[in-house]
Amino acid sequence: MNVAMGQKPFVAITYETTESNKTGSWRFLKPLYQDKQSPCSAGCPAGEDIGMIEMLARQGLFKEAWETILRENPLPGVCGRVCFHPCESVCNRKDFDSPIAVHALERFLADAAVGAALTTKWERLPQKNQRIAVIGAGPAGLSMAWFLSMLGYPCDIFEALPEAGGILRWGIPEYRLPLAVLQSEIARIEQLGVRMRTNNAVVSETFDELRRSYSAVFLGCGHAHGAPLGIAGETPESVKDGLDFLRRARQGERPLCDGFSVVIGGGNTAVDVARTITRFGGNAAILYRRRREDMPAFGDEIAMALEEGVELEELVAPSAIEYHNGRLRLLLRKMKIKGQDKDGRGRIVFDGKKTVKKVIDHVFAATGATAAEPWYSPPLAQRGVMGFSHCVLLLEAGGAPVIYGGDLTNEAKNVAQAIASGKQAAMVLDTYFERGIDEIKSRLEACVVGDGPALSMEAYLGGPRGGRSSHLVQYGEINTDYFQNETRVTQPRLAVEDRSCSFNEIELPITAESALREAGRCFNCGLCDECDNCYVFCPDAAVIRSGNMENRHINYDYCKGCGVCAVECPRYALIMGGEGL
Amino acid sequence: MRLDADEREFMCSGHAACPGCGAVIALRIFTKAMGENTILVIPASCTGVIVGVYPQSVMRIPVVHAPMPAGASVASGLRAALDMRGDTDTTVVAWAGDGGTFDIGFQALSGAVERNEDFIYVCYDNEAYMNTGIQRSSSTPYGAWTTTTPGQDWKRLRKKNIVEALVAHRIPYVATANIAFPEDLVRKVKKAKSIKGSKFLHIFASCPPGWRIPSEISVKTARMAVQANIFPLYEVEDGVRYTINYKGKQRPVQDYFEVQGRFSHLTAEDFEQIQKMVEEDWGLLQRKAGYQAADACIQSSSAQRAIKTNKVF
Repeated sequence: MNVAMGQKPFVAITYETTESNKTGSWRFLKPLYQDKQSPCSAGCPAGEDIGMIEMLARQGLFKEAWETILRENPLPGVCGRVCFHPCESVCNRKDFDSPIAVHALERFLADAAVGAALTTKWERLPQKNQRIAVIGAGPAGLSMAWFLSMLGYPCDIFEALPEAGGILRWGIPEYRLPLAVLQSEIARIEQLGVRMRTNNAVVSETFDELRRSYSAVFLGCGHAHGAPLGIAGETPESVKDGLDFLRRARQGERPLCDGFSVVIGGGNTAVDVARTITRFGGNAAILYRRRREDMPAFGDEIAMALEEGVELEELVAPSAIEYHNGRLRLLLRKMKIKGQDKDGRGRIVFDGKKTVKKVIDHVFAATGATAAEPWYSPPLAQRGVMGFSHCVLLLEAGGAPVIYGGDLTNEAKNVAQAIASGKQAAMVLDTYFERGIDEIKSRLEACVVGDGPALSMEAYLGGPRGGRSSHLVQYGEINTDYFQNETRVTQPRLAVEDRSCSFNEIELPITAESALREAGRCFNCGLCDECDNCYVFCPDAAVIRSGNMENRHINYDYCKGCGVCAVECPRYALIMGGEGL
Repeated sequence: MRLDADEREFMCSGHAACPGCGAVIALRIFTKAMGENTILVIPASCTGVIVGVYPQSVMRIPVVHAPMPAGASVASGLRAALDMRGDTDTTVVAWAGDGGTFDIGFQALSGAVERNEDFIYVCYDNEAYMNTGIQRSSSTPYGAWTTTTPGQDWKRLRKKNIVEALVAHRIPYVATANIAFPEDLVRKVKKAKSIKGSKFLHIFASCPPGWRIPSEISVKTARMAVQANIFPLYEVEDGVRYTINYKGKQRPVQDYFEVQGRFSHLTAEDFEQIQKMVEEDWGLLQRKAGYQAADACIQSSSAQRAIKTNKVF
């Protein structure tokens, strides 16, 4: 050491940073932000962007969340109440604690929007020259008109009954779907300029007239006529149509149902008929040829019906009916389970020759429905007929194109499928007019959500969320270390004594706090919610964020490709890809 | 997660740390929590090499490189010099690895904290001398392979409980932290900064090459150490007041060991043995923190159940 007195010792001091070392050259895998598909969205027939909706709801952006629903589904208030929510049965959260109450949130958002009288200036495509006639103002026709309006087509809806809504107006009791809810949804569709021509039944002659005066006709008049039971002694008087009963109840009549009624069937219509009868003061039993667990009706609805005093008899099938001392005598054959059907339900066979006789006052059939007129049904596959998952397009010389949708073409007949049908038909027609027939299939394929067949209007219109990768996020891809067990919101209900004597809505609204909490449970599968984990954990300070998602990016000059960001992403919105990507 | 920390980066990109380095994740979050009035004293360690390869520096705050045994001494001297200059705003931090804390730096550290020198001493713990080639330290855990405990001669001695050693000095603040729990880390750093006297932070930081894990699970592995109660998150004030900070999702130790190549030789019996050791330590800690023995029992039986069903709960 030759440090002279008073001299500072030599100290090596650096003045340069390491930023001249481009450590990105070490990398052989590259992190990429990539939005993916959530199973709920793919499971929703209407293809609603549920992950995004819940994310916006959690952030308190209720209006934006509501608009995001309407992008894919014009009837959130209806679907939040009566949809069978297949989204919930595929929710990834079910493997963690319990699925998100998507339907309760959808209803909350729809009601909140109505309560706050929210309106939105919809971005619509420029007006087109083609005018479209929509026959039937049920969920399919309403959706068709909504989506066509978005795409710039003026349309008129023709409805035989005095009010729009179809099965929603005439087939579902008010305790499940209040009239005001439906009316506000229809009003919103009308605000887009859709003309509603009620009391305007289209018969086969006027149909041809419509095909001459409009550029295309959508036929979505549903399956509104109950199918007969096909048993000995059956007449329209002895076995009444369940759907007709519900329709008359919704028209304000009090159809005859005193004494003891039996309802044949296992679907929601059967349950609705029985519950309506108890509300009118009658007694009702549901007779079903399979077992309770095989019933297509919603489990909750069945349970509530039983609470309200409806009886349920399983494994009986009607075989004959006759008048007996001013009442009716129904002959039933006992059934039993033997093996399993293709759909997983028990296969039923006659239980020997065992029979039961029942003396009752009324019999209602609710075993299925058909189209009212044979010409409603779509033509079979042939030249000029194009079939799709939810609609059929008929092109023939001498008339405008006809597109069949709703129950007429759908395998599963429910509201969500009807909405899917209206959306698909709108896309088919628009592509046909704009780009020609050869482009239809490929354009629809480009809009598929997940594995399909749900379609995204956002993708069709080229919106930002349309660019999602087609990968469906699995439960194992969610980093559950970032989620805690939280109980699912329970929708409050009217007490059984309050509900069984009135048509007041049974399911009560959830509070905004519960909605926020419930939306917060959502994994938002495959969606970046800017949680910042990638930024926080990056060892190379190579995640750059500038306040919004568009600007969030990775500085590939320094990213060494360690992959910590992708593993610590709670929602699988980041992937590690090859350098070529 | 959003951190209650400085938006600015005090660490530059372009450093030479291995991909997924836990020490660097710790240092980055730590310095963001400290803010700019900080001086780092770094004795020989991985960080020493990462931060200061002449003529470059990774840090945007002053760094003094120190000999391996002298981290606490240099920090003490710096504090004294700052005090002489009347600088009370600047916090002195010694940032040492487990080798520079548990082994080589221990006497300086013990002396400095006995004098209650006013600094924060951080031990980022990757459980071996990683920089020089993965030699075992007194921090290397029971069961681990290192280049000096190779093959079947894996380490059959327990890891030194450095936190308790520091607690025994009755310094104002001792805490454990983990790179997988950044919010907890930030809170503890800010708390340490606000206290006068000697503060000791023990930060668990994974080392992908040394632990034989893929770089992407660096943070996940560190998190599992907490979930399996191998590295509990807790803090001790004035040597007596214990607070356990994490009592969330639990895992059997096997989950943590299985993902790491350095434990690949362990058998089911070894896991059982280790599970017992971990539960013993965890029970002891809970008693210190004033939890009822029954509570410890519940924890332990649920962990047992998890081992049997091999299920994360």
